[in-house]
Amino acid sequence: MADWHKILVAVDDSSLSERVLNYVGEVVGGIDKVGICLLHVYPEPPPYYFTEKHTLQEYREEKEAAARQVFDRAGKVLENHAIGAARITTSCQMATGKTFSKTILQVQKDGGFGTVVLGKRGISKAEEFLFGSVSNAVIRESHDFTVWVVS
Amino acid sequence: MTKTLQDIPEHIVSLYKAHPVSSSIRRQPKVYEDTSNFSSIDYGDVIVADNRYFVVTGHTVEGRFGVDDQPKQWVPKVVDLESGVSHILKLVFHEVFSVSVGSFTIPCYRSPEKEARILELTEDHPRFMKGKAVEDEAGNLVRILDIISGRRLDKHIYRHECSHEEYFVSYLPGILKEYIECAKAISFLHQAGFRHGDIRRDHILVEYTTGTFRWIDFDYEFYLPERPFALDLFELGNLLMYLVVRGNYHPKEIVDDPGLGQKVLDTITPEDQSLLSRNRVVNLRKLFPYIPETMNNIFMHFSQGASVWYDTVDEFVEELEQAAASL
Repeated sequence: MADWHKILVAVDDSSLSERVLNYVGEVVGGIDKVGICLLHVYPEPPPYYFTEKHTLQEYREEKEAAARQVFDRAGKVLENHAIGAARITTSCQMATGKTFSKTILQVQKDGGFGTVVLGKRGISKAEEFLFGSVSNAVIRESHDFTVWVVS
Repeated sequence: MTKTLQDIPEHIVSLYKAHPVSSSIRRQPKVYEDTSNFSSIDYGDVIVADNRYFVVTGHTVEGRFGVDDQPKQWVPKVVDLESGVSHILKLVFHEVFSVSVGSFTIPCYRSPEKEARILELTEDHPRFMKGKAVEDEAGNLVRILDIISGRRLDKHIYRHECSHEEYFVSYLPGILKEYIECAKAISFLHQAGFRHGDIRRDHILVEYTTGTFRWIDFDYEFYLPERPFALDLFELGNLLMYLVVRGNYHPKEIVDDPGLGQKVLDTITPEDQSLLSRNRVVNLRKLFPYIPETMNNIFMHFSQGASVWYDTVDEFVEELEQAAASL
């Protein structure tokens, strides 16, 4: 089983992410062995994007700039729990040809993370059918690692 | 600069003049090598694409249910002047609009590029319309489609005037056999990373000569990054239910049906209704008790009462094949 001290936390710019980070901080803030990787996943460009004469490079730059802001805010939250920058790494990924959940699972596998932490929004069944639930999809595919879901 | 017949080869002009269109047009026809401004292309004009000359003989119409048919200016009907073969052309129209799916509004896009790629992917697949995508002089992706000589599926299932029970016993097994092959064709698209995007009962044509069901019109694209195939799956389910009961049943249709009525409607609960199209009944065994439970269980995967649903078309097809075999 992968090392649970290697924690992958999926973050975005929502208030839910702040709750997730506070939870992680409360639980593992005092454990020196813990290392945290903040993961921000963004979707591929929408179908009309290139017909409006934009480039993939532009899109990536825009999303990565937004991710840096997410990581900055996340770093400040974790600092409040005595988790300093030395214990934090970041990863920004475009979900290329994959869903968000599959991208997270790939990062978990590639990085050998033993714990994955996600937020869960309260959504209806209909919303889940149409738009999906990343947390449910990750839980379903979790083998040999632990998933924490914060709602 | 708009061109005229003087700008095209003499032998093409002769062919044009011999075509019935030329005697019914009251103006000078225009010749379009650039189809960017498709709204100006009209009956009797000539479109040049793929080094071929196509005369416009009309436009296809938008067959949305309950809405008067509206001509689709970006989809002219044409005849190849040299071969004499009729085609449908689809010109570039990057339309962005919203579609209601139940209580949700989803952005939808017309994607000529997607349709062109699917045409290429499915050129040897018997369950899809056939065609070729080429660029016009301005780089617009023009799709030259072969016409399927056939009837819309929704009209096909009504061609025998009979009771539902007789339809269910005598005609439905054959219809389901073809529908299953169409569903497998959608799985083929999904495995290649494509969605159909506009699965509906008038987007399957039933060939007159062979009875083969074939998909048309796959230029719609949705942006649902986490569940990219959910809408296709949902619409496949809707189409299956439509075929099995030969219609859609909302409270009004149930009450108005002399064989059903208020008594049946009183037995319907929210769990019996569609997850997304909330008013539509999917527990169809309550309306038609002779529908086998195995078939009804498939419908219930699309209900508000469902605790699990199909993730892939393959899961759906596997259960459907078993249920259909028992009919």
